[in-house]
Amino acid sequence: MELKDNKIILEKDASELDIFAIKFLKILEKHIEYVVVSGYVSILLGRTRATDDIDTFVKRMTKEKFSVLYEELQKNGFWCLNAITLDEVFSYLGDGYSIRFAENEKGTPNFEVRFPKDSLDEETFDNFIIVEFPNKEHIKISSLERQIAFKRYYLGTEKDNEDALHIEELFKGKIDFNKVNKYKQFIEERKKRQKIYGK
Amino acid sequence: MENKKRIFMKPGKTNQEDRNNFIIFWAEYMKSVPDNEWGTQQNMLINSQLGNANHEVYLKLKGLRQIPK
Repeated sequence: MELKDNKIILEKDASELDIFAIKFLKILEKHIEYVVVSGYVSILLGRTRATDDIDTFVKRMTKEKFSVLYEELQKNGFWCLNAITLDEVFSYLGDGYSIRFAENEKGTPNFEVRFPKDSLDEETFDNFIIVEFPNKEHIKISSLERQIAFKRYYLGTEKDNEDALHIEELFKGKIDFNKVNKYKQFIEERKKRQKIYGK
Repeated sequence: MENKKRIFMKPGKTNQEDRNNFIIFWAEYMKSVPDNEWGTQQNMLINSQLGNANHEVYLKLKGLRQIPK
C-alpha cells in the first residue's frame, strides 16, 4: 500500500464489504460528491475489524436531485432503513439526520449518508484521498489527519482510538501532526458550541 | 531459503495495552508483506462477520424499519 499525491493504491482483492461499498458509491457519485469518513476508512486501510455501517458525507442537494438518486438506488436493489417515501427520507436528511441504505433483504452492512452540518464537515470535500483497487474501482476517503483527529478527539471510544492508532502506525512519517492539531482545535470549538447551543 | 524479516508482537500488561500492541504489530506486518497477503486474512474476518449477520435482530436493536416483505 502506498500513499502518493493523495492517492493510495491497494494491491489486494476487495472484501465483501468493499464490494458493497463500491456498488453503492458508484451510484452515489453519478449524482453528488461524497467522501467516506470514520470507521470504514480504517478498515479499508487494513484494520482487522468489520463494521455494520459506512459513514458518508454527501454535498447538500435539492429534493429534486435527491429524488433521482433515491430512485436509482431503489432500482439497483437498495432500500432505505429509515422511511419509505421520498418526502420522509429527504426531510430526515435536511433536518441533519443520517439516512441508511442497505441491499434489499438485508440490514447490514449499510451506508449512513448525511449532509455536512458545518464548515468543519464541509472541509472534508477539499481534502480527500482516493483509494484505488487493482481493477481501478475507487473509493474517496477523508484525509488521514482528519480521520485521526475525529477518532481521537471527537469520538474517542476505545475502538476509535484503536482506529486512529492503526493509521498512525501504518503511515508513520507521512502524517502531518500540525494538521491533526488544527483539526483538534476546531473540534474543541465545535464541542464548546454544542455545549452552549446544543448543535 | 527465503530470508523474510519476522515481525513480533510485544505482549501487553493490560487488555488495552495488548490490543494496542496488536495494532502496532499488524501495521508493521502489513508493511512487510504484499497487500494480498494481509488482505486475504482481513477479508476472511470481514466476510465471515458479514456472512453471520442476523439482519432482523440488527434492525430491531437499532430501532430501524424491518425488512419489507
